Amino acid sequence: MPAPDIVFAGIGTACGLGYGKASLIDGLLAGRDVFASLARPGRQAPDGSTSFIGVEMPDPPELPPELVPKRVARTIGFGGRVALTVLHEAWDEAGLDKVAPDRIGLVVGGSNLFAREQVLMAQDYAGRLAFVPPRAGHVYLDSEICGLAASTFPIRGFAHTVGAASASGAVAVIQAAAAIRAGTVDACIALGAMQDVSYLDLLGMRALGAMGSARFADQPGRACRPFDRDHDGFLYGECCAALVLCRADQTGPGYGTLIGAAQVVDGQRGPEPDGDGQRRAITLALRQAGLGAGDIDVISAHATSTPKGDEVEAATLHGLGLDQAWVVATKSVIGHGLSAAGAIELAALLLQMRAGRLHATRNLEHPHEPVLRHVQGLPQTLAVRHGLKLSFGFGGTDTALVIRGAT
Amino acid sequence: MESDDILSILIGQIREVVPEMIDHDIGAADSMAALGVDSVERSEILMNTLEILGLDLPMVQLHGPRNLGELALLLKAKCASA
Repeated sequence: MPAPDIVFAGIGTACGLGYGKASLIDGLLAGRDVFASLARPGRQAPDGSTSFIGVEMPDPPELPPELVPKRVARTIGFGGRVALTVLHEAWDEAGLDKVAPDRIGLVVGGSNLFAREQVLMAQDYAGRLAFVPPRAGHVYLDSEICGLAASTFPIRGFAHTVGAASASGAVAVIQAAAAIRAGTVDACIALGAMQDVSYLDLLGMRALGAMGSARFADQPGRACRPFDRDHDGFLYGECCAALVLCRADQTGPGYGTLIGAAQVVDGQRGPEPDGDGQRRAITLALRQAGLGAGDIDVISAHATSTPKGDEVEAATLHGLGLDQAWVVATKSVIGHGLSAAGAIELAALLLQMRAGRLHATRNLEHPHEPVLRHVQGLPQTLAVRHGLKLSFGFGGTDTALVIRGAT
Repeated sequence: MESDDILSILIGQIREVVPEMIDHDIGAADSMAALGVDSVERSEILMNTLEILGLDLPMVQLHGPRNLGELALLLKAKCASA
């Protein structure tokens, strides 16, 4: 029996542009500036020595009591509330209430998701460690998102997490698709969970040389500049997104069809980008899709705004003959969601494909070599047949996803 | 501290941890299990109560009481011997 086609039937998102996919696509196309000094507790060093900038979301809306009882709601941390909010949006849009619960799966992308809450707890309970609450014994695990989701929504197929650093969201999509193709479930949610980083994580990533911005410290809105010659590192951005993947024969055309998906490991341990790995992933995904480089209309690049990362990725795309495809860099608007990046940027690509409009890459004033076909200044109107989403992660993960548009 | 005061603390913590019980009559004869408090919630209620009472003791020492009144008496005895 041939493997079923897989479509994206529902999307839920949250980021600095707001909650819900309408705020995401509207904010992207408007090129809103949402960068600022990070203000959420636990994001700056307690000794006042840091001034990290990035993007933070508004507080999540209150969860409906008929969905989440008050006794449960009071125990859910920030990342959990955001996850349930985006899952609710995607669930309703995909009509998952009509799918048998044991035919629904969940793959949560991300690891070490609650670092900031653990730092805050250590501060809060210093000097009274005997009274650390019992729930602390299970909510520090990333599987908390699985438990919250499946105790709130009727998901009874399977639920687990996958960690691949900044490629986690994309790997969650790949694993969700694999579960449907294997016949394990008929619908599977891929949730790019929010990486709730602490100041310790941010200090580490700054020390690593991966995170900006020394150059634009006083101009947060100019700091994240993928593919620009003045880029100096990525900027963190709170994000979370859920995508519902369904068998095409059990739903409508949705946002498009996943026709190619590849994940490779390139042998790097840390943050170093690897052009060979990127090429292998893209080539495999295009082959699976039965397409050539010339068939791709738009690429949602990984595009972190780190000099080496951007330059290696641009060289990869140029080397594969993808110069004719339009390139968008979503991190320039919403920051780098780390674990959630692949999922929310894929959601953004699907929304742009449906809208027939591509958002401009912010702060792209002087593109570095090799110069790609960037969307600069204003959105680009385009009927997209095929889109390519790239996500790479520390530890040497390279992924590529090919989407055929729904129209 | 009298056992009635400890009982009030326990009831207050039950309402804190289970906000659905904010208007629910709760008395000495009630047990947390019968009120529908689950095991993790019970542990949190006990932990919060111990902190308010300034008691640091293993949770296993609080097993045995069949209702909130008996639990309050046990906690009063623990306070007296602390």
